[in-house]
Amino acid sequence: MIDVDAVTIDYGQGEQTVRAVEDVSFRLDKGKSLALIGPSGCGKTSLLFALSGLLQPRSGKITLDGEEVTNPRRDVALILQNAGLLPWKTVWQNANLSLLLNGDFPQQNAAEVLAHLGLDNVMKRFPAELSEGMKRRVGIARALSTSPSVLLMDEPLASLDTLTREKIQDLFLNLWHEHGFSMILVTHNIEEAAFLGQRIIVFTDRPARISAIVENPQMGSLDYREDPVFQGVMSQLREALEA
Amino acid sequence: MKRVLTYVISIMALLLAWELASLAVNGINHAIILPGPFNALSQVVKNAAELQRNFAASAWRLILAILISLIVATPLGLLIGREPTLDRYFSPIIYITYPIPQVALILFLFVVFGTGSATKVTMVALALFFQILVSARGAAKNIDEEHITSVLSAGASRWQVYWHVVLPATLPEILTSVRVSIGLGIAFLYIAETRAALGTGLGSYINKHMLFNRERAFAGIIAMAILGLLLYIAVDVIERLACRWKYVKRRPLK
Repeated sequence: MIDVDAVTIDYGQGEQTVRAVEDVSFRLDKGKSLALIGPSGCGKTSLLFALSGLLQPRSGKITLDGEEVTNPRRDVALILQNAGLLPWKTVWQNANLSLLLNGDFPQQNAAEVLAHLGLDNVMKRFPAELSEGMKRRVGIARALSTSPSVLLMDEPLASLDTLTREKIQDLFLNLWHEHGFSMILVTHNIEEAAFLGQRIIVFTDRPARISAIVENPQMGSLDYREDPVFQGVMSQLREALEA
Repeated sequence: MKRVLTYVISIMALLLAWELASLAVNGINHAIILPGPFNALSQVVKNAAELQRNFAASAWRLILAILISLIVATPLGLLIGREPTLDRYFSPIIYITYPIPQVALILFLFVVFGTGSATKVTMVALALFFQILVSARGAAKNIDEEHITSVLSAGASRWQVYWHVVLPATLPEILTSVRVSIGLGIAFLYIAETRAALGTGLGSYINKHMLFNRERAFAGIIAMAILGLLLYIAVDVIERLACRWKYVKRRPLK
C-alpha cells in the first residue's frame, strides 16, 4: 500500500522558495490504479517524483508497504514524458538499463517483455530509428523489466496522435491486469484519467492541492470508452477542473 | 566513393586557386615570391625522407598534446558543468585564464622545460586544454534533464550518471572541440617549433627553408595540411564509431 501523508514539496530556499505541492494526503491499495489530474505545471509531477524517491518532501511522509520512500527503489518504476530513452543506447540496452545499473545481467524477463510488446525485431536499433509509439513501448518495457510492484507514469502519452495514444492506453490497461502492479498516472488529459484511473484526484493550480476526488470503479475494460459511465466521469472531471 | 570524389574535387579547386594566386603574385613582382603548388608538390617527393622525419616529430607532438588535454580537460569540464559548487569556484578561474594567449608563456616554458619536445607538447596541450574544457563544461550544462531523471529513477549512482548519460551525451560536442583544436594545435605547434633555434618538426623545417628555398618551405606547409587532414579524418571515424546513434534515421520495420 502507498501512503501519502500531508506531503508538502518546496523548491529553492529562503525568499526564493516556490511551493509546488501543499498538504496532499491519499492512500492507494496494492494493485489499484490512481490518476492525478490538474493544470499543466501545477506540481503533480513533483508529487510523482517524490513518490519515486527522486526528491524529498519539505514536510509529510510517503511510505510504501510501511517503509518510507527516501530513494529510488527497484520495485518502483517510473515512465517519463518522452519515455526517458537514452538516444545513445539501443532498444535492448534501454530496456535493460535498470537491470544493468543494478549489477544484474539482463534476465529472461526483459527479453520476454520486449517480445510481448512486439519489440523483438528492433532490439539492436537506436531510439531515433523508431516511431513515437514504439519509443513509448520501449519505455514501458524498461519499466516492466524489473517486475515492479508500483508503476509511476508522468504524462506518458503526451504528444502522441490520438490513435497511437489509445493503443498505448489499451496496452497499459492489459499490462495492469496481467502484472497486477499498482499504477499512478499523472496527466492533464481528462479522457486518459477516466480510462486508466480507478480513482482520480483533481489538483488545483500551483501549489497543487487536492480539490476533488472522483471514484471510477467501473473502469478496466477496453470498451469502457463507449460506456455512458465513462462519459459521465469525464463530465465530472471537467466540472472539477473548471471549478 | 562519392565522399572521396568530393574530397578530390575540393583539393583540385584549392590547388587551382593556389596556382592562380602564385601566377598573379609572381607576375606582379617579376620574381618567384609564391611558389606554385606543383613546384611545392615536387619538393614533397624530392625531400620525402627529411619531410617524413619532421612530419613524424610534429605528428606525435600534436597527437600527444591532444590526448593529454582531452584526458585532463574532459572529466574536469564535465564535473564543473554538472556540479554547481565546483562551477562556482572554477568558472571565475576559467574566465580569467582562458583569454590569456598561451603563446605569451612560451619563453617561460623554455626556461622550465628546455627547448625540447616537452615544451612544445606542453604549449599545445595548454592551448587545447581550455578549448576542450570550455566545450565540455558547456555541453554538460545543456544535457536534457529527462535523461538524468531517467537513469536516477532506475537506481543509478552518481558515477553511473556520468558514465551512462553525461559522457555519451556530451561526446559529440567534445569531438567537435577536438576538431577545432586540430587547427589551433597545428598553429601553436608551428609557433613552438619555430621558436626553438634547433630541432625537428615541420615548424622548424618550414622556418629553415622559408627565406632561401621557398619551394621546400611550401612543401612543409603541404605536409602540415596533410597532418591536419589526417587528424580530421581520424576524428570523423572515431565519431562515426563512438556516436553511431547520431547517424541513424527512422526506418520502417522489415
